[in-house]
Amino acid sequence: MTENEIYLELGKDEFRDRFISLAKSGNFILRLMFAMDDRASDGSFKVYAVFSERGRDIFHIPFMRLEGENPRYRSITPDVPAVHWYEREIRDMFGLAPEGHPDLRRLIFHEAFPSGSYPLRKDWSITDADLKEWGEGTAIKEPYQFMKVEGEGVYEIPVGPVHAGIIEPGHFRFSAVGETIFFLEARLFYTHKGTEKHFERIGFSEGVKLAERVSGTSSFSHSSAYCMAVERMSGIEIPEHAKAARTLLLELERLYNHIGDIGNMCAGTGLTVGYAKGAVVKERLMQLNERLTGSRYLRGINTIGGVKKDVFLQRDDILATVETVTGEYREFMKLLLGTVSHVERLQNAGILSKDIAMKLGATGITARASGIDDDMRKAHPHLVYDSLDFDVCTMLQGDVYARMMVRAGEAECSMSMIDSLLERTFEGGLSAELKDIPAFSSALGYTETPRGSVFYWVKSDKDGKPLRVKLRSPSFCNWPVVPIAVHGNIVPDFPLCNKSFNLSYSGCDM
Amino acid sequence: MIKEILINITGRKGAVPFPEGFMISSEEAAQIVSLKEKIDSVFGRSLRIRQVDAGSCNACEWECTALTNPVYDIQRFGIDFVASPRHADVLLVTGPVSRQMELALKKTYIATPEPRLVVACGDCAIDGGIYRGSYAVTNGVAGVIPVDCYIPGCPPTPTALLKGLFDLLDKMIHR
Repeated sequence: MTENEIYLELGKDEFRDRFISLAKSGNFILRLMFAMDDRASDGSFKVYAVFSERGRDIFHIPFMRLEGENPRYRSITPDVPAVHWYEREIRDMFGLAPEGHPDLRRLIFHEAFPSGSYPLRKDWSITDADLKEWGEGTAIKEPYQFMKVEGEGVYEIPVGPVHAGIIEPGHFRFSAVGETIFFLEARLFYTHKGTEKHFERIGFSEGVKLAERVSGTSSFSHSSAYCMAVERMSGIEIPEHAKAARTLLLELERLYNHIGDIGNMCAGTGLTVGYAKGAVVKERLMQLNERLTGSRYLRGINTIGGVKKDVFLQRDDILATVETVTGEYREFMKLLLGTVSHVERLQNAGILSKDIAMKLGATGITARASGIDDDMRKAHPHLVYDSLDFDVCTMLQGDVYARMMVRAGEAECSMSMIDSLLERTFEGGLSAELKDIPAFSSALGYTETPRGSVFYWVKSDKDGKPLRVKLRSPSFCNWPVVPIAVHGNIVPDFPLCNKSFNLSYSGCDM
Repeated sequence: MIKEILINITGRKGAVPFPEGFMISSEEAAQIVSLKEKIDSVFGRSLRIRQVDAGSCNACEWECTALTNPVYDIQRFGIDFVASPRHADVLLVTGPVSRQMELALKKTYIATPEPRLVVACGDCAIDGGIYRGSYAVTNGVAGVIPVDCYIPGCPPTPTALLKGLFDLLDKMIHR
């Protein structure tokens, strides 16, 4: 089941060399980097990196062992900037220190979290007193220094974590010159919920529910990727019918997200009519979701081994709703593209160059709008995507307009994919028979969420219980590019730029 | 839609028409419309809500946003979401309250002028939900600030949110 994963154990230096040569060759895409505490079995920590080979459905997974209580290794960030957050995350969670990393401040934990405390270590515990102080947030245990911009006329605007509108929490510190953003520092991880550790506690089957609640609007993508990982690990091949149902629901999720996002961008330019129209089309799809699965966010339908309900029985309802939506959506796009005041605000705002997007490892819409041809549905065909006819939508400009148009293109693709899925019949039942999870096995699960690629890597312990569940959401890759894309824009355009990326705070903070 | 308007007109209470797809019975519709009268009497025609995300997955937020779309159109009842807690009558808190949001939530509560009401919205906000027991969450809003009303659901649908607000105001009147 995991034939497309090639593991390769390397020494510390070879791992580094191999990593850099893969990342720089241009034929490989860095997907994620993560660590695990394997001291119980062989006394070492392990660090894995996952690369996709371009044009082939193969994952190259080099890994290294790090021995000792507080191991160190030479940071890869100076050579491959895309790993800067991964290395900081691994340090915060496992205490593996990347020597020579340019930014060694804590990433996930804020000032009041005890220093020298690493939650994903197997022997980790925390006292009630420490938890209380962490929550009160008053005891500064490891200071955090914001970047300082100095010079004539530079002033700071701190925003958040509780900031305008109905939105997730994050702290943004703008250093502005007049109206222009000179520098933006985003401090996130306010919604850190210890998700990865929680996966280990609750077991593989309950994990589906947790995966659905990592990022609200990507519930189905997350649960699909998680189920796929567990299925691959236990050698379960799910029936064709279940694969088709998952594909259909993934595309319905993409459709409501893309249309909703295009509508939300109108709120960023003050085009209230557009905002309202987009919201109505999205609402239709949300109500379809509810009729299909009982949940507006497609929750509770995925299960390890398949799906719980045959959504193809409601074929007529789906077809009729998608047809109405298609008509309304095209009218809506015509309105938007015909509104010069709207389009002008989008063009040349929040430009992300291809070079920066590559260097920082952007994914999904963000990457495709900057000219990077990468879509998990094509790069690693899963479910029934290889039997569907669709193109990877890309644009070159990398501005807000490009991100809107990539969404628009993908929404059209999703609508035609839904139609062609409903024309066909698929064999097999709704789910495969479950198998016992073998000891010490591992596997990757992945899919393309509306925001970009999502990855789960699961490993079982000797009893077939979770030893490690790594989750990498697309927002974790994309947040670091936002401050760069808004540089040189005016402060009032920040909400618009931010909406064009539409990143999940909860998915990133885990 | 015409059918629903007819039901509303012939119903016991006069009700404003609910648009197509509201998925709500005429009895419930009448109940929700009476929400407006309550707001008129208790809050002087306007109820302002500040939504605070204390570690939610973002589904609850999107349901709150959906309340402002033309289908649910919460503004017609005199209810609106505001940007600052200083303008708010109600704090609508979602999420299990992550440790790193605990202080911000307390500060937001202090910044809200009295009399203030707190609604814990969604399963996570009630008792931590699926996240209950994780080291990084506090298992619900009630452990951090006093709560007046709970709205269950994961996430609660826009209709459930409306009904929850209705219950809250009912409680206010009978207090």
